[in-house]
Amino acid sequence: MIVVQNLSKRFVPNLPDVIKKLNFSIQDGEFVALVGRSGSGKSTLLYLLSTLDRKFEGEVLYDGQDVRSMKEEDIHKLRNLQIGFVFQFHYLLNELTALDNILLPARKAGQINERLPFALELLQKVGLADKANRLPPQLSGGEQQRVAIARALVMRPKYLFADEPTGNLDSFNGDGIMKIFKQFNQEYGTSIIYVTHDQEFASRASRRIELVDGKIVFDGPQQ
Amino acid sequence: MMFLCIKHLLSRKKQSALILLGIVIGTAAYVAISGMMLGFQEKLMDQLVNNDAHIRISAREDVLTKAEMNSFSDSIHVFWIIPPSGRKDSAKIEYPIGWFQRFNNDSDIMAYSPQVNMNVIFNRGKITLAGRMIGSDPVRQIKVTNINDYMVEGSFLKIGSAGNRIVIGQELLINLGARISETLLISSGTSAPRPFKIVGVFSTGIKAIDQGTIFSSLADAQSLRGTPSEITDIAIKVRDPQTVEDKVEQLRFGARDKILSWKESSASILSVFKTQDIVRNSMTIAIIVVAGFGIYNILSILVTQKRRDIAILRSMGFTPRDILMLFFNQGLLLGLLGGVIGLMVGFGLSHIIGAIKIDAGRALNSSNQMIISYDYWIYIKAWVIALLSSVFSALWPSFEAGRLEPMDIIREGG
Repeated sequence: MIVVQNLSKRFVPNLPDVIKKLNFSIQDGEFVALVGRSGSGKSTLLYLLSTLDRKFEGEVLYDGQDVRSMKEEDIHKLRNLQIGFVFQFHYLLNELTALDNILLPARKAGQINERLPFALELLQKVGLADKANRLPPQLSGGEQQRVAIARALVMRPKYLFADEPTGNLDSFNGDGIMKIFKQFNQEYGTSIIYVTHDQEFASRASRRIELVDGKIVFDGPQQ
Repeated sequence: MMFLCIKHLLSRKKQSALILLGIVIGTAAYVAISGMMLGFQEKLMDQLVNNDAHIRISAREDVLTKAEMNSFSDSIHVFWIIPPSGRKDSAKIEYPIGWFQRFNNDSDIMAYSPQVNMNVIFNRGKITLAGRMIGSDPVRQIKVTNINDYMVEGSFLKIGSAGNRIVIGQELLINLGARISETLLISSGTSAPRPFKIVGVFSTGIKAIDQGTIFSSLADAQSLRGTPSEITDIAIKVRDPQTVEDKVEQLRFGARDKILSWKESSASILSVFKTQDIVRNSMTIAIIVVAGFGIYNILSILVTQKRRDIAILRSMGFTPRDILMLFFNQGLLLGLLGGVIGLMVGFGLSHIIGAIKIDAGRALNSSNQMIISYDYWIYIKAWVIALLSSVFSALWPSFEAGRLEPMDIIREGG
């Protein structure tokens, strides 16, 4: 479970906070959409939740442990084993094949052989079983995003964070991504927290957190 | 990270090959240039160390003074019309027995050879040439220097202990138009010429020695000089020629005679060697620095190009150290590989250069080819230099990459 207490974030001194004293929690297995207009602070909040940004005021607790008081080594382990991250722009390593990209977190954990069958299964599930040995430039945008999702899931993380995962895709590919998220949320109980400004995709989540100027204006189940 | 590191290198084949080429050229140049220069130096050094004594004790050349000549009983009444001046007639080692006793009890001294060194005039028919005669005990002399190795005809020992027999430098023999078993007339300048029979010929490869030196027995030289039982020099061979200075300092303490080490006698040549070493190292360092800058530049550009990759890797739990090693290992691999290939290329180049026939006057071995040193230290040094330059060049960009925070990269737009 992730607990957020009095979370504030300011980029420039003397300017207003972009995240203002937020308090909420995310239960294990939740499917959460972070929505809001551009500049509302939803991506900033996602990075704070995902431990990528640890410069803030307040607390972000992972199973009761404050991410800022954790040892560096533990943070790296947490990111490697319990967190998956999907960026808007796919961010695959161009030198590696789709399968090698997916296995990168496993390579870090020293679990290549153990994770290989699951990586192949993930490729199957995202519909790219026949493209395992393709390099990223040989894949379409939608395919690259599906590889990035498979990579984020290969360690069966407890939490999957996604920053506008459909932002760069057409509605068909975007729809496919959302289906994959739903499937993993249901099959593996992975908590999925994603940022979107697309109301249609936001409506697929079971919980919606809406931000305006760094403040939560709505937090509750989809209506 | 080695997997990713190799993938990075292979994905930029042209860049990697260019860096590799720079390291290979630098390493090979070091090996080939060092091989040539050190081969030359080793040969010359061998000649410097072994052709003559490691330490030479020679008679002090005293100049006559008025005070020394005032040995009259009532010298106050003696007035010189022309005061005595100039060098004393015959320089000699004043107390050779003392030296011999000292050397016999010194374990650092392997051998010594009492000598009479003097300028002489050679006569053969109408040909008259000036040169130098070294009179010594041949058995002792071959223990002190390697003259016996340079004999091209006859044996050095044939000089014997007396009997007016000489061993002559090959060029001097040619200049005189003489042959072995022939007799030459030799004069010390102050005495009547005496006949000496040529019993051997040597060739050291050093022109100055080969065209003006003869060896005779000690007794014959003393007799020709007109100073029986006197010696002018003692040639000494020590156990370790490199530490000869310490021994010279010991011998100089309280000694009246002139004592010179081979290093002091060859100071000008040794300084040429030092200059050669500086030139060789400077050239190689310049090449390696250029290759190092290549690594630095390309890795710096790579780190900038791969910022997004760094952000991804960090987001999935790769540590700053992992990122540092990802880039550092690329420099290390290039250095290792470039160094090994460079050594092989350098070895091949050395063989090719060693096989080139050169002008006989400059030839350094019997087959008129340059002597190339294959000393393993050259190869170790070359490899270490290649490796260190690669490592140092890779260090800063890698360190910078390791310091990048994923959020900074993401906010800057990757």
